[in-house]
Amino acid sequence: MSSAAPETISIALTLNGRAHSARVAPEVMLADFLRESCGLTGTKIGCDQATCGACTVLIDGAPAASCATFAWQADGAAVTTIEGLAANGALDPVQEAFKAKSAFQCGYCTPGMILLAKALLTANPAPDRATIRDWISANVCRCTGYQMIVEAVEDAARRMRETVR
Amino acid sequence: MSGPLRAVGAALPRVDADLKVTGAARYTVDVALPRMLHAKVLRSPHAHARVTHIDARAAAATPGVAAVITRDKLNGLNATYGYFIKDQPIVALDKVRYIGDMVAAVAAETEEQAVRALERIEVRYEPLPTVATIEAALAADAPALFETPPPGIVPAYGTGASGFKDPAKNVCYRFCYTTGDPAAFARADHVFADEFRFSRMQHYHLEPFVTVARVEGGEIELWSSCQNPFPLRKELARVFNHPEQAIRVHVPFIGAGYGAKNNCKTEPIAVLLAKMSGRPVRFCMTQEENFLTQSQHAAILKLETAVSRDGRFIARKSEILLDAGAYSDASPLVAEKAGYRINGPYRWEYIDSRCDCVMTNTTPAGPFRGFGGTQAGWASESQIDMIARRLGLDPVAIRKKNLLKLGEAYVPGESGMDSDLAEGLDLVCREIGYGRGERTKGRGIGIAIGFKDSGGVNKPAEAQVKATTTGGVIVNCGTVEIGQGIQTAFTRIVAELFACPPARVAYAAINTDVTPFDQGTNASSAIVVMGQALERAARDCIARVLAFAAAELKCAAEDLRLENWSVIKDNQAHALAPMIMRHFGGTGFEFVGRGFFKPETDHHAPLEAKCVSWEIGWGAAEVEVDEETGRVAVKKLVVSGDAGRAIHKDACRGQDEGAAMMGLGQALFETMRYDGAELVNIAAAKYRVPLANDLPESFRAVTQEQGHGPGPFGAKGMGEAGMLPVAAAIANAIEDAVGVRVTSLPLSPEKVLAALDAKREKP
Repeated sequence: MSSAAPETISIALTLNGRAHSARVAPEVMLADFLRESCGLTGTKIGCDQATCGACTVLIDGAPAASCATFAWQADGAAVTTIEGLAANGALDPVQEAFKAKSAFQCGYCTPGMILLAKALLTANPAPDRATIRDWISANVCRCTGYQMIVEAVEDAARRMRETVR
Repeated sequence: MSGPLRAVGAALPRVDADLKVTGAARYTVDVALPRMLHAKVLRSPHAHARVTHIDARAAAATPGVAAVITRDKLNGLNATYGYFIKDQPIVALDKVRYIGDMVAAVAAETEEQAVRALERIEVRYEPLPTVATIEAALAADAPALFETPPPGIVPAYGTGASGFKDPAKNVCYRFCYTTGDPAAFARADHVFADEFRFSRMQHYHLEPFVTVARVEGGEIELWSSCQNPFPLRKELARVFNHPEQAIRVHVPFIGAGYGAKNNCKTEPIAVLLAKMSGRPVRFCMTQEENFLTQSQHAAILKLETAVSRDGRFIARKSEILLDAGAYSDASPLVAEKAGYRINGPYRWEYIDSRCDCVMTNTTPAGPFRGFGGTQAGWASESQIDMIARRLGLDPVAIRKKNLLKLGEAYVPGESGMDSDLAEGLDLVCREIGYGRGERTKGRGIGIAIGFKDSGGVNKPAEAQVKATTTGGVIVNCGTVEIGQGIQTAFTRIVAELFACPPARVAYAAINTDVTPFDQGTNASSAIVVMGQALERAARDCIARVLAFAAAELKCAAEDLRLENWSVIKDNQAHALAPMIMRHFGGTGFEFVGRGFFKPETDHHAPLEAKCVSWEIGWGAAEVEVDEETGRVAVKKLVVSGDAGRAIHKDACRGQDEGAAMMGLGQALFETMRYDGAELVNIAAAKYRVPLANDLPESFRAVTQEQGHGPGPFGAKGMGEAGMLPVAAAIANAIEDAVGVRVTSLPLSPEKVLAALDAKREKP
């Protein structure tokens, strides 16, 4: 351990498609950095134990629990939060699907669920129902009972295929 | 109204969809004020102890600390709060009563500084004997949680019902209900006595308990994740001796509650720290702290049920013991409902029910989806199946024989059933394939009917609807959006009445200064209580618009109807906006309508007012039991609620599915495990809730629209009922599958295997 440990660390990341640089204290978690320093409160903190998934963001396209990721770990990475999903004012197909299928209730888990689904559909554009259940099982939704979320992910897959076509 | 419904039942997205899918929805956790401090609390490591000494001087001198609360900072306040019984202190006074009881609080510039300061508070405890379970608390030599009874009230009850405060040591409240002729027991062919155990869950709302408060210029202002802002305002006024008109409560979107977010949680500490520091204070609990703040009620339920040999229900004596935890919270109300609902939607000649709230040194129990109906339904619907099997009768047939009919009063003096119970039962039997097909070894089907009154007790509600010059409509009422979709339901109802596009109706932010009174978003009361007030408010507003237009057009208001912000007279449309500006001037006007609803007070009704509505949850489960391991797999789960009229079909379906999965968790694995008085599986990493992988292979929630509800367009409250039948249906299915009965939740492999082993030993 260096006796001259820096009080802050310089980081540079791509945040929702834009270059962003900041100085962060080494113990600051990515979720807090996003919410408090960047004002991106769409990222929600639920359990704060990397278990419930409400804080899910995409780091280089992969879902990550931002409550258990240090802000400095995002240095050099592309971070996508729920605020970065809609492009040019148009909802992402996953957002459209969650909206059309009412795949939310209180909405607290919804940003994390949508980003998780986005990562799934990027990795696998045509997942079967079992695969969707498996992926969605990374996050907790206490309101919906999941079935409507699973259906929304199927709907999103359809929408994304149609967009590509 | 005439013609087909346009907004009600329309397949349009929920009104909160855009905000919620983009992350723009604002919750209390997102509220930040300039110069805001952060609060943390010191919690008791002892389950029961006298607090002999507290010294917080070092904490107060810690960098960043602005205010510290200990018991000596409560002078001049009414330092305890609660529903019927004011027993929970803002921070510990003489004693701590459970592990996690709040002892001191700090506000500092950062949460980290607050946590460091808490470490410097010196507390000396003198540990006392602990009671961690219902049995231990009721033992003759048990220590008392309260040496002197805390202040409280017993509400007025009507015919047959009664309540008692502190009827026995460690029993804070007792509810009793009796009706009919006790001699009925003697006329029965059989009396079956069975005992059931119900384990407790945590609500597991993802948004924690959180408040942001500021006290400036003699005014208390708070943003709170709270589902009953008006009772909260009143309680804070009492605690702080502060005038109600100088307390303003805002309720943004709520990250769910399932019952937990009623009354004081984080609010008194946030307000007091804000008052002491002169700065805004945010008190946001962690999920561990949620687990130490509120839970469901564990219970022991003893039923003695008298029946005729052909399966007619005759009499039932029930004794229910609820584990209230360390403070009374809503326990008296939950006792009232558990005691009142224990007999289910069936006909009886005699009922004698007693429900006690037993204080233990564990997390305080409070309102939880189903509100006593879950505990009652678990026992009653399990026992009905057991009785059917003992008598050699079909479990569905025995229910049908005894079910109350549509319109038939629950008990003397009560309102009638507003759902056709047999219709719903037939539906879930059909969906699950009851009585059809070949029997497969290890597989079985179970049915249950969950039951609760809905609409709360004697609740008043007031709503306001206003219409702007250009035909914008604003709904102003105190029902909070906690996930159930009430903003959608209420704006669609008003759009229907105004005959306008749903997009023209907005739902106002809740601010107790201007929002009309509401008792709380709970008890499935929004549609049937506030909904009736809202319909009246909308009609009042429309009547004012039509009266205005009639004067302008020199005709009778009866000759006019409203359509898309025009008035229609003799098939001719007259646009309202120009008419309004001609009369009121170019800056326009607003028409304001108000509506009020309250069930009539009625001393013949056991709860002093007839229940507004009845919420029924029909459930059916098909399980496969592994006889080697005792593992139960739910292959098929069907639940059905009756929305009366589904204002938004997806929202109704989502409520029932979410409730059913909560019931599935309760049935199979989800429980707060205590080692003595210590909660072992605290928070997400150790506490298991259902995930998508727990979905049964086949899962259906069917929303019935029977049309008999008292709400607008025949609507009824829903959302709790989907949970009520699930655990009993699964237990009933297990017996159907492998012939063993488990009477204690959760239905874990260990318990099922033990029952199978016992059966194998004694064939």
